[in-house]
Amino acid sequence: MARFVAAALCLLGLVACTNDPYPDSAERARILYQPLSEPPRTLDPAVSYNAAEHLITGVVYATLLDYHYLARPFRLIPGLAREVPQARSLSHGRVAYRFRLREGALYQDDPAFAIDDPSARTREVVAADVAFQLLRIADPAVASPVIATFAKIDGWQEFSERLTALREADAAFGTRRIHEQYAAAGGIAGLKVAGRYELELILSEPYPQLLYWFTMPFTAPVPWEAVEHWDGEDGRDFFKDHPVGAGPFQLTEFERQSHITLDRNPNYFGLLHPEWRAPAATYPAEGEPGDEALGRLDPAYVNQALPFLEQVQYRIEKEDIPTFNKFVQGYYDASGILQESFDKMVHEGALSEEMAKSGMQLEKSVDPSVYYIGFNMDDPVVGRPAGDQGRKLRQAMSLVIDANEYARVFSNGRGIPAQSPLPPGIFGYEADYENPFRQVDLAWAKRLLGEAGYVRGIDPATGKPLRLSFDLGDTSTRGRVRFQFFVNAWNRLGLDVEIAATSYNQFQEKVRKNAYQIFMWGWIADYPDPENFLFLLWGPLAQSKSHGPNTANFSDPHYDRLFLRMKVAENGEKRLAMIREMRALLEHERPWIELFHRENYTLFHGWVRNVKPAGLSLPTARYIDVDPGLRSQRRTEWNEPVRWPAYLLAAAALVILAPGIVTFLRERQ
Amino acid sequence: MEAHVFSNLVVAGVLAIVLAIVLAIAIGVRRSDLWRASLVELTRRRPIALLVVASYVAIALLDSVSWVGGGAIGSEGNMLQQHQPRSLIDRAFPADFDEKSYSAPLASVEFYGGDPLSHPGRHLLGTDILGRDVLHLTLDGTRIALLVGGFTSLIVIPLALLVGMSAGYFGRWIDDVAFFVMSTLTSIPYLLLLIALIMAMGRGPVQVCVAMGVTSWVGFCRIVRGETFKLRELDYVQAARALGVSHFGLIWRHILPNLMHLVVITFVLTFSGLVLSEAILSYLGIGIDGSWGQMIDQARDELARDPIIWWNLAAASTALFGLILAVNFVGDAVRDVLDPRTLRERQ
Amino acid sequence: MLAYVFRRIGYGFVTLIGVLLLLFVLFFLYASPHEMARRAVGEKAPPEVLEQWIVNHGYDKPKVWNPEDPFDTLLAEHFRRTLTFDFGRSDADGTPILQRLREGSGPSLALAIPSFVLGLGFSVVLGLFVAYFRETYIDRMGVVLCVLAMSVSTLLYIIGGQFLIGKLLRWFPISGFDPSPSVIVRFLMLPLLVSLADGIGGSVRFYRTVFIEEGGRDYVRTARAKGCGDLRVMTHHVLRNALIPILTRVVVAIPFLFTGSLLLESFFGIPGLGSLTVDAIHGNDFSTLRAMVFIGSLLFIGAQIATDVSYTLVDPRVRLE
Repeated sequence: MARFVAAALCLLGLVACTNDPYPDSAERARILYQPLSEPPRTLDPAVSYNAAEHLITGVVYATLLDYHYLARPFRLIPGLAREVPQARSLSHGRVAYRFRLREGALYQDDPAFAIDDPSARTREVVAADVAFQLLRIADPAVASPVIATFAKIDGWQEFSERLTALREADAAFGTRRIHEQYAAAGGIAGLKVAGRYELELILSEPYPQLLYWFTMPFTAPVPWEAVEHWDGEDGRDFFKDHPVGAGPFQLTEFERQSHITLDRNPNYFGLLHPEWRAPAATYPAEGEPGDEALGRLDPAYVNQALPFLEQVQYRIEKEDIPTFNKFVQGYYDASGILQESFDKMVHEGALSEEMAKSGMQLEKSVDPSVYYIGFNMDDPVVGRPAGDQGRKLRQAMSLVIDANEYARVFSNGRGIPAQSPLPPGIFGYEADYENPFRQVDLAWAKRLLGEAGYVRGIDPATGKPLRLSFDLGDTSTRGRVRFQFFVNAWNRLGLDVEIAATSYNQFQEKVRKNAYQIFMWGWIADYPDPENFLFLLWGPLAQSKSHGPNTANFSDPHYDRLFLRMKVAENGEKRLAMIREMRALLEHERPWIELFHRENYTLFHGWVRNVKPAGLSLPTARYIDVDPGLRSQRRTEWNEPVRWPAYLLAAAALVILAPGIVTFLRERQ
Repeated sequence: MEAHVFSNLVVAGVLAIVLAIVLAIAIGVRRSDLWRASLVELTRRRPIALLVVASYVAIALLDSVSWVGGGAIGSEGNMLQQHQPRSLIDRAFPADFDEKSYSAPLASVEFYGGDPLSHPGRHLLGTDILGRDVLHLTLDGTRIALLVGGFTSLIVIPLALLVGMSAGYFGRWIDDVAFFVMSTLTSIPYLLLLIALIMAMGRGPVQVCVAMGVTSWVGFCRIVRGETFKLRELDYVQAARALGVSHFGLIWRHILPNLMHLVVITFVLTFSGLVLSEAILSYLGIGIDGSWGQMIDQARDELARDPIIWWNLAAASTALFGLILAVNFVGDAVRDVLDPRTLRERQ
Repeated sequence: MLAYVFRRIGYGFVTLIGVLLLLFVLFFLYASPHEMARRAVGEKAPPEVLEQWIVNHGYDKPKVWNPEDPFDTLLAEHFRRTLTFDFGRSDADGTPILQRLREGSGPSLALAIPSFVLGLGFSVVLGLFVAYFRETYIDRMGVVLCVLAMSVSTLLYIIGGQFLIGKLLRWFPISGFDPSPSVIVRFLMLPLLVSLADGIGGSVRFYRTVFIEEGGRDYVRTARAKGCGDLRVMTHHVLRNALIPILTRVVVAIPFLFTGSLLLESFFGIPGLGSLTVDAIHGNDFSTLRAMVFIGSLLFIGAQIATDVSYTLVDPRVRLE
């Protein structure tokens, strides 16, 4: 027994007491360590749509356009394209865009390029690759979530139909090479490859938001060889797990459950052709006021070719708390987005002194997002069928929700209380606009509720408090506490609101069946344009009519007309007037109780350089750099294990057991 | 509101049945020397643990007696409260006792920001994120814990006894069918089956209890079946059978009494397991609202706050730990007292 | 004897059919394909894409009965594919499930085997130790400690372990996993300690009871009377005879080695089968869940057969019928 205890102690002693999660060799390299809360489902640029996926696809694939890294409001700059194209009006209200690609940009090295020529390891990026990717989006078998976005391109729908018909008619057709299938289906009429480096898009109607889509990986050039080669057969990966692009990094390890490694792509045009000084592959020399003071215009980086990092490592971390602890210990370079209140670190919106001394930086950004409580406008009690009564009920319910207090309680005061669907940074947002129904006024709310016929919350039909159902797709404890906050507020009006929390999917099912009353949801913009917010309340997109994203089922002829005009208008006074009119409608009708625009706090350690939060899910890894020397020094300083409790514990065990063992030994003799 | 009344009804029902069982046992004990001796022995051995369990039961009972009305509410307060039933425990706290957010035990200001509280120094265990009194929440959790443990045991024990005894005693096709059902259920990993059932039936206290009952009766059933199997082979049972005692008589006179100690032991021992399982379900988001498990799950985040919020976690886990510990001690003692083998050894 | 074994295997198969039926009811009749599709294609996807996904994955077939072809139904498909281990692809991200199971079993076993072996070793040794000192202060203290340890919720062990050992004492990484040999041990230490702490109370108490029970039997008294030393009695007679209950407990626990510990793996970020299952639960990835349930059940059934057979081998009084 004693021997066994001794052996166990030896075993424990042998294990080096360290909390360093990395093999020691990686200490000195310029590697960025980042946590990722869930693994990407797919890295196919035509399909991937969430922020985590765009972190990877956004750096592996080079897009035709980009956003300026430092300038705000967001400004488009050319990426693989030579310049940002201008819309050219054609007859019948049609519009054309012509993209000119840079000559000589290469893809990363990949075995797929050996498909026809065994010695080939890479090839040049050409306009046909962009067309190929757009055809893939139109291909129903790819199941791209943005298939409808590009439907304004001439002949888009027809191509999808022809392709499907050909595949159904002839089973052998599906076995042909994918780009040959597309060619056989006749391509898309409005998508013209004009020469090796030029591409023209013809739209049936003006759609100025189209260019924003060319900053996203959806439209990045993709080599057909990669799609053909990585088909999941004979032990080969699937294309969605093996992206092949022309971006600054290439995927070298993809362990879905544990980590993702991206290495610098030596073929990236920024590294291969620094003399081009391509805007998207050169660190910018100008920024917003204040960027210089925050060290974002360090002369050591300005006008240097991107990327700076040798490697980016994402580790899958599902639990927030261990992730944050590892960040504090120095094992992650950024904290990820802070969910909780860290009063000691962030006090009243600023970094505490202690943390600032350790070199940490706090970066804040407002997401182009809106979180809201919505009413199902088809509902007989809270919706349009209830007429004036329903409107007053919605207004009263809106008047008791204190978004400021919510932000204070749940997120350390982060989040900007929303007055309308439009967040700051989006055209049409006016900081001085105050929505009268988004102020807290319990007395007015009670009065309105009385006018609606529910005096002190009592439903005259039953004589009991009015019962409403708050339908939610989150059963977590954390979510529940948050929903209770709203219910408590409504309880003060005497309304009996029940939280009907189900799994997210059951909630989706309820939405599909139009069986919901009050819900809570959020929207994060795809691109910085008011159209991307106001369409959420456009009648034709109502959930009950077309399963569209207008979950409130709000439908107002005047709003719908205004929306169509606003959508195509240029930013300016006219557009602003239209937006104001739409806003006034929403203010009065209250299909939504706008809650807040999310504000993100991210903490960075002092050894990370050139960080600028974006809000939009932009891949920023190519601009960032780290100082590995400082990092490894800090890590050692911060992580000295505390050993004495182990000795204490061992001593205590000995003291307790000793008399017994002594007795035993004596008896044995 | 109906759900609240319903769960109260269930608790009242459960407690009525428990009382009936206690009464039956008491009568049985008066008749039987062995059981009376056991009970005396039990109270002698574990007076404190028994007292603790009794006080938990008392709190749950007090929290189950509720009615609508009473309690003046200010114009700013929760107007709904007037229409909702409030239990004796709820009434022990003032109406409108909530603060705005966190406050430390007995503090007079809010934890973040330092605004003055509306009831300074009166929250013995502080308040949670929504400003609710933690002591109140913890006391409410008692009712849920006893509901989970008690109600589920009441599903498990009769079911397991019935199936286990018939399977073990009659064998043949009854055993086969019972074995089929049992092995189908047990061969699905416990948690997965539990989750699937709750997802199918929907969330809610009764559903969780039924799902736990369905998943956990099999273990006890196995024991009953095995024990019946053994008892059946014993000489005196064989002799009784040879003398022409009916099957029912045999089971009632010779098998069931010899299983009673197992029933009592299992009841006490599974009780703690069930309450602990609920905590795990809460982590997965399908537990019962207001349970200690949910409080602990919520406190997971609070422990990461800086400075940490510890009183929520401390209150819930101490309450949980106290109950389980007391029940475990009682369970141990019950086993020692009732298990004939240990009895023999002691003599 | 052989007939009995065959009959048990037959039962096992019947049980498996029961499991498959239950799975079908829960995951095909109860859960609708739309739920899976929505999750798979993302919430921003338009309805056409949703329908396309359902067709692509073959969920548009009749559920139970197809008048044209009775075998072209979801039910028939479910049985055929599951029984041939053709689990298809994950509903959530489209990876082959069999591959995921293979990938996940490594990390799961890396945690499960040491915690199982160490847990068993520690519990048996401590159980013997405490039983040996029965009726002394060590025994009483041991029992109290066991009960104390048993009364703490698993959640609390994990939260406390991460907070105390990971955050305050900085002995080991708070969470994470890396299969490279130079670092794997430090990642496993904390979950290992937590799992030991969580399980040891119950096990030690169980083994103590077993040993004391065995120690009270007549043959032990005889051995003592013959002048056998206490230690020798403990190790040679008591331990050997107590192997039966130990074995039963062990055999039944083996399938859980495979399914992994749901909570431990997901809290500590170990990419094993437990994490896979928790993800599948949260993500309504029904096809992965089905595969996990099936494999878990298969192993469990195997273990059950083994236990039943070993019962009859060990205790000849149990008759084979």
